[in-house]
Amino acid sequence: MRHRIHPLVRIAAATAVALIWSGAAHAGARLSVITTTPDLASIAEEIGGDRVAVESLSKGYQDPHFVDAKPSYLLKLRKADLFVEVGRDLEAGWAPGLLNNARNARVRPGGIGFLDASAGVAILEQGGRVGREQGDVHPLGNPHHWLNPVNGLVIAANIRDALTRLAPAEAKYFHDRFVSFESRLKSKLDGWRKDAASLGLTGMKVVTYHRSWPYFAEAFGLDVVDYVEPRPGVPPAPRHVQDLIELMKAQKVGLLIVEPYFDPKLPSRIAQSAGVPMVVLPPSVGASPVARGYLDLFDAQLDLIRKALGGGAP
Amino acid sequence: MIEALPLLLWPLLACIAIAGIHAYLGFHVVERGVIFVDLALAQVAALGATIGFLLGYDLHDPAAGWLSVAAVIIGAALLAFLKAENRRIPQEAFIGIVYAVAAATAILIVDRTPEGAEHIKFMFVGNLLAATPAEVGRLAALYLGIGILHVAWRKPFFAISHGRTEGMSTTSVRLWDFLFYLTFGLVVTQSVAVGGVLLVFSYLIVPSVIAMLLTDAPRTRLAVGWISGIVVSVGGMIASYQFDFPTGATVVATFGVGLALALAYRGLVPR
Repeated sequence: MRHRIHPLVRIAAATAVALIWSGAAHAGARLSVITTTPDLASIAEEIGGDRVAVESLSKGYQDPHFVDAKPSYLLKLRKADLFVEVGRDLEAGWAPGLLNNARNARVRPGGIGFLDASAGVAILEQGGRVGREQGDVHPLGNPHHWLNPVNGLVIAANIRDALTRLAPAEAKYFHDRFVSFESRLKSKLDGWRKDAASLGLTGMKVVTYHRSWPYFAEAFGLDVVDYVEPRPGVPPAPRHVQDLIELMKAQKVGLLIVEPYFDPKLPSRIAQSAGVPMVVLPPSVGASPVARGYLDLFDAQLDLIRKALGGGAP
Repeated sequence: MIEALPLLLWPLLACIAIAGIHAYLGFHVVERGVIFVDLALAQVAALGATIGFLLGYDLHDPAAGWLSVAAVIIGAALLAFLKAENRRIPQEAFIGIVYAVAAATAILIVDRTPEGAEHIKFMFVGNLLAATPAEVGRLAALYLGIGILHVAWRKPFFAISHGRTEGMSTTSVRLWDFLFYLTFGLVVTQSVAVGGVLLVFSYLIVPSVIAMLLTDAPRTRLAVGWISGIVVSVGGMIASYQFDFPTGATVVATFGVGLALALAYRGLVPR
């Protein structure tokens, strides 16, 4: 809906905000950016540079569906200039209530400082049931969209636009940093795609625990054929495990991917029985010590996959 | 702390409202020895909402709410009936079974719904910091209404809680038990949605245990229960802010501290 705002209204709003914020920006006050996940925080830092102070509410090793709220979250949101969420209901269990109670109309949905990072991203698995064999899906689509680096660019552009709305005087600064981020990401993307191809990931059939990886698969040509979890949050039944092992053998599945916040016992037994290598893959910045920034995340993931597949250093 | 006060006001008021009704209901629950009945009825209510899920209602749809209420009515009837039928088997055994079967059935249903168990988990986690004025107002109105019913029906309720059922027919014991579990179930399901299972359990049991440690007179016990519930709410909220801990868990841990203090006092000052 936010995209259908009349241009004149946008200009008026931008001007109003410019009047309020240009003073602050010139005085050297940093815009306070609060994100729900460290991936968004890393991208916001890339774009905002020293004009912003960025903080993520969740840690990379936490499952972003469930975050235990602390009083400091309310204080941070109350003082925030910009709130960025992954969107598609990923944070539906905790973020809306906190935004509502933080007494900061700016960062509430519809406010000038509220950003749904998924705006404009090509969302997968959207619009109801796709079919039994692909699993049933969420009406708003799969929320793990940051795991395709191409979407990282869309998120970065969204953040650039939001920051520019809040501090129009810094438009060029944010634009330049976006261009720099874009060119670094694109050159790394070529490298990642080559790595993925040399690891044989293109067209490789894989099984994942949770439905976190469709965007990663899209980026590097993997083919996700099934899940350990038959439904999000439902432990697998014995027959599903048995069927899964058979399917992995029959379809020559090359890799089993597990998120770090699930117990690896069952998946590693499945991997062993099927004779398939398993990898615990961090889905977020900060989930592993090597994945410090958004651009390191894919390095770290491909490195872990290389090790799991038995290859040494490149 | 002062800057946080307006932000923490409604969560704190929610806690105090919860303390008000639960410290009172806790006396019945502890006297009857049905400690985990709140967990069982909350799970039954969640099962109702899960069935709503299967029929295509969202968790926040009023229809899902009514299915929860219907499930609580059935759960209350079941608990009242099972107690009267089997005096040799402790009531806690049936409560545990109702809990386990309701939880398991919810998993079976979720296995056939598109979105999985994540939304069901939200029903038990609660988000105290997200408590809104409207939510607190709704809680307070419900608690007040049920509190008035309990004052009106206090004689049979307390007679059954204290095991003085001589002169009451089996049918009337069943009926009063049903009304007790029904009002109780309506209270806990609303509280759990705001505060989470752990928090509600603590508000139910700990104030009355503290009060039983400190005094024997029924009226004083109720007063001590309320005061300890409110003191722990305020203390827990301050601690959660000062040390920046998740709020619900901090309040529960503060209840542990409160109970330890009451035990220490009892140790130093024997009756």
